[in-house]
Amino acid sequence: MSRDESKLLYAESHEWVDLTEEGGKAVGTIGLSGFALEQLNDLVYMELPELGRELAAGEEFGEVESVKAVSPLYSPVNGKVIAVHDDLPDSLEKLNDDPYDFGWIVKVEISDSNSADKLLDHAAYQKQCAEAG
Amino acid sequence: MMDLPNRVANSAGSGIGRLISLATADAAENMAIDQSILDSVSISGVPVLRFYQWSEPTLSMGYFQRFRTRSEHAASFPIRCVRRATGGGAIVHDQELTYSICLPVAPGKAWVRDTLYQQTHQAIADALACFGVHAVPFRLSGACIRTKEENSRFLCFQRRTEEDLVVSGYKVLGSAQRKTRTAVLQHGSLLIHASRYAPELPGIGELQSFSIPVQQLIEKIVTNLSAGLHLDWNEDELTDHEKQMASKISQERFTNAAWTMRR
Repeated sequence: MSRDESKLLYAESHEWVDLTEEGGKAVGTIGLSGFALEQLNDLVYMELPELGRELAAGEEFGEVESVKAVSPLYSPVNGKVIAVHDDLPDSLEKLNDDPYDFGWIVKVEISDSNSADKLLDHAAYQKQCAEAG
Repeated sequence: MMDLPNRVANSAGSGIGRLISLATADAAENMAIDQSILDSVSISGVPVLRFYQWSEPTLSMGYFQRFRTRSEHAASFPIRCVRRATGGGAIVHDQELTYSICLPVAPGKAWVRDTLYQQTHQAIADALACFGVHAVPFRLSGACIRTKEENSRFLCFQRRTEEDLVVSGYKVLGSAQRKTRTAVLQHGSLLIHASRYAPELPGIGELQSFSIPVQQLIEKIVTNLSAGLHLDWNEDELTDHEKQMASKISQERFTNAAWTMRR
């Protein structure tokens, strides 16, 4: 089932998170927004975190390169990395076409649900993009 | 995209940046100073522009390049190697002028990549024109867009991106960036003369048959960047904190073999 981008939460730094429950645990699936990918244009490298790594909201969890520019990826929530999209770094050309399904980067088991409180809803994020765009 | 000068003015508060004079250092120190400045600009919001050269010929590899690909370029085997924190391909730093510019960006609006490449490269192209050198961005050079394979070559100067400056079809200026949440570092290499460690890449001296006075060129670039970015550059020195941090970063990263061979 396709992920509905209007139901996701967004960090100011353009990562999205899909909050769900899996096996009784709060899980956040994280990716980069379509707006960010459009601005980045042509990703050539991506570095992913290791499984089990504990992330704090706002902490760097990976890096991407596009047109010789290296940019960090920031975790939108507190949590432990429980899944990594290993195929993604070798398939970056597909990312722009499908940022919200194929484009998931990591899944984290959320350790502090309050860490998502400061995230933007879709409308607020759209407003930020319009101002930046 | 928003206009870069507005962003600089909004973030920095004043229209004044720090200009660090031309200095020569080894690769690790040069890279560490750039990183230290990026860290300080991320906090202070005050733009910094500096120029530097290299105390010995050095190969720098892009942040994501695989170290083993160094074997693709035999001519640069004899020289030291450092891994940059910025992207792109490998560069033989020898007879070149290197610049670095670090600007604050508002959180969430760090997508300034193309604008910054355009504005700095235009400033340098205009400065070169004052000395009779006709350098144009690759996108305006009339050459065909490079294939993905061509743009994956080991050496940066054998690749082409839209804003690279070319003279007579040869790339003479390439730049790369590293971003944080609140600042962006861009540094770039201007080939003044060819290096014997990358003889396939002519510098301006070989393409134009004359030498450019580097200090005068810097003065022109500073003037152009002042007009282009609406910033006044005040001559300054690295702070003690920036020097201390650079020394620490150099030890942890740029003189550390684990960093250089991390990929």
